[in-house]
Amino acid sequence: MVQDLPPVGGYGPVQYRRNLPPRGFRPSHYLFAMGALCAYGFWEAGKGIKEQRELAREKVWSRIHLIPMLQAEVDRDTVRRQLAADAREKELMKDVPGWKNGSVYNSDRYVRPNYVVTPSQDNMKRTR
Amino acid sequence: MATSREPNFNQEILIDTTPLPPSIPKVQEVGATSGPLLSASFFIGDRCKAYNEDYMLCKQEAGGKGEFECLKEGRRVTRCATSVIADINKHCLSEFRAHWKCLDNNNQQLYKCRDVERPLNECVFNSLKLTKTIPGAPADQTPIHLRTKGTYIGRY
Repeated sequence: MVQDLPPVGGYGPVQYRRNLPPRGFRPSHYLFAMGALCAYGFWEAGKGIKEQRELAREKVWSRIHLIPMLQAEVDRDTVRRQLAADAREKELMKDVPGWKNGSVYNSDRYVRPNYVVTPSQDNMKRTR
Repeated sequence: MATSREPNFNQEILIDTTPLPPSIPKVQEVGATSGPLLSASFFIGDRCKAYNEDYMLCKQEAGGKGEFECLKEGRRVTRCATSVIADINKHCLSEFRAHWKCLDNNNQQLYKCRDVERPLNECVFNSLKLTKTIPGAPADQTPIHLRTKGTYIGRY
């Protein structure tokens, strides 16, 4: 009985390592490419942000130029309403002795009224 | 509901129509809507700078009583703005109209209406000598309304 033995000259080499060709570029090249792409993106974004800032400046100044005109119109309306309210209060309270017309605050600063004295509904002018 | 209140929309009947007393001089309001005002804003700012600053300074120095004490300055501001709008209407009506219609149609974004803004600026400068300058813009760069290339320019 002959014992089972390796072939003469030994076994052939066993292929334990994968034999695949490396795909694409070197990994460091990918890293550099990504960095370059990000840098370009940030550069473009920065340009856009600077441009947005200038557009915002333009928008703000267009408004600043208009503010005095708009405010003057509102102020005239405020004065008109306040003078009308004063006259109305004087007329309503003419029979009350000791009534002090005008602001309820201890100041001559103009305070926009929260409550407005109105005539009764019968006297009210219907606009429609 | 337990309440039985009548729906009373009194903002319709409580409109105070009392005019200003005759001791205060009348002034015609500008009466322009937001589009034409935005379109003419830099020209208003150019011609009316002195009146505008006078009015705002008066308001600041009046100590909270500017509504009553700065009426005269306010009338000057309104007259000046009215004169600018009237002059633009007289000399550059078609360019002006094209620009504010473009603004109204483009959400009032100035950067979307550059191609109609340029003829307006040119016409207003030629006829009224009013220029559009943006204060505080970087001096070493082209002003934003004159640029022809950029991220937000030429895409609309």
